[in-house]
Amino acid sequence: MRGGWILAVLSLLFLAWLVLNDLVDDWGRLEGGMDNLVIFVEESMWPPNWSVLEAQSYPVCENEIEIFCSVGYLGMMETIKIAFVSTMLGFIGALCLSSLAARNLVPLYVALPFRFILAATRSLPSLIWAILFVIVIGFGPLAGVLAMTFYTIGYLGKLQYEAYEGMPSDCLEVSRAMGLSHPSTVVSVVIPETGNHLLSQLMFMFEYNVRHGTVIGIVGAGGIGYYITTYLKFLQYDKVLALLIIIFFVVVVIDLLSLMIRSFVTDEGDVRRPTWLRGMIKIWKKRSASNDVE
Amino acid sequence: MSIQQPVLELKNVDIGYNDALVNNVIARVLPGEIIAVLGPSGIGKTTLIRTIAGLVEPLKGEVTLHTKKKGGLGYIPQRLGLVRHASVRHNVNLGAKAGVPFSRTMFEERKTRVEEAAKALGIEDKLKEPVRRLSGGQLRRVATARALAQRPQILLADEFLSELDHQNVEVVIKAVQTLLEDGTSIIMVEHHEENVRLFATRIWLIKDNHLHDYSLEEWMDIDESSWREQYMEEEE
Repeated sequence: MRGGWILAVLSLLFLAWLVLNDLVDDWGRLEGGMDNLVIFVEESMWPPNWSVLEAQSYPVCENEIEIFCSVGYLGMMETIKIAFVSTMLGFIGALCLSSLAARNLVPLYVALPFRFILAATRSLPSLIWAILFVIVIGFGPLAGVLAMTFYTIGYLGKLQYEAYEGMPSDCLEVSRAMGLSHPSTVVSVVIPETGNHLLSQLMFMFEYNVRHGTVIGIVGAGGIGYYITTYLKFLQYDKVLALLIIIFFVVVVIDLLSLMIRSFVTDEGDVRRPTWLRGMIKIWKKRSASNDVE
Repeated sequence: MSIQQPVLELKNVDIGYNDALVNNVIARVLPGEIIAVLGPSGIGKTTLIRTIAGLVEPLKGEVTLHTKKKGGLGYIPQRLGLVRHASVRHNVNLGAKAGVPFSRTMFEERKTRVEEAAKALGIEDKLKEPVRRLSGGQLRRVATARALAQRPQILLADEFLSELDHQNVEVVIKAVQTLLEDGTSIIMVEHHEENVRLFATRIWLIKDNHLHDYSLEEWMDIDESSWREQYMEEEE
């Protein structure tokens, strides 16, 4: 049995090699590629140019703290705002549609059309959505918000209905036998039961939207991507690297936030709270207890 | 003497998934009756309960419920069907949600029902606790409280007294008495002889792919039945 699996994996790897070989017509291109990369990084990218965190010359900075007027801060904040709003709107839209696409919640003839809608929304990348909305409503963050919202609905919708379909059937059967309506079942049974998955997907999608905010900015839909495109055009790769490091930092922070939030809703021992968070909760509880005594 | 209207009628019903496990079931349930469904494992007891609950289509025949469409039927499955990631209050409130019709005072009435049901089952101090932290016995009490808050006309319970110690059985039975006073009928799958004697008014024995309907007196008279020795568990 194990030998069969190994043979199957080896066969697939061999097939992948054959396909790759078919796709690449000239392997000689790899020669010297690494050297090119080293030259590019050393001469154009490194060290990162942290002037992106200095105040812009125009408009004049009225804030005491210079960083709040910088390209890095303003661009990142706009991207986070776009990602936040579109994740929230997309999450609510996805909740409505996914509950009508899950096979264990509705009959097949209802689920299929909604699955098609979600698949259609998902099959257009956020970049294409952004181009469409830039055409419809012009440049700016609103086009970005709408583009990300539509993509989020399609993407989260699929993850959500798959989470619903994987939930235990007994609580659904009880609500069905009791005569609870579809919205009541979704709100009172399905969402609480799959809450941990939904929260995890929500945080993942927020992080995804922050990362993709850089891409949609390229077509003028706002955010830090707008500045990245500008610097790329002017070959200022050191500034591009600085902005990419800022994005990386924000993504790591979101990941930590996700861990922290999920630790409150998971089974005990499933996702452990970080030590620093446990310490903070202890201190907070002690303080509130001493306040009660006073 | 007035003739009581049945709350449930089974007319020539074949029960099963692909092949019939129980054939040609003809039965009716009157308000306030407590029916114990007996039989060996795999004979179709749970499938019968699920068919009555509307979760499995009968292969043949007709299952007619003369109850309210919403909240008329309560169900406690073997695995209890609790929302594990929610609190006890949330779970008990599900029953109240099903049982209290839409009105201006529905939220207050639901709250009252939840608190009364929790008190009857002795879990009033657990209302804020997440269900996943409770013991097996406490979980069964929560599932019973959910049914109590619903106040259904028929309660289907699949082995809801099993896994409970004697003390807990008494608490649950005492709590369910309030339902019986309201005329709720109970159909329960049960294995313990003592619980059947203590609780049931009629017996549905599934044997040779057929449902045999006995009154408790008739059932007690067939003492020599090898069925009882074979499939019922005597209390220690």
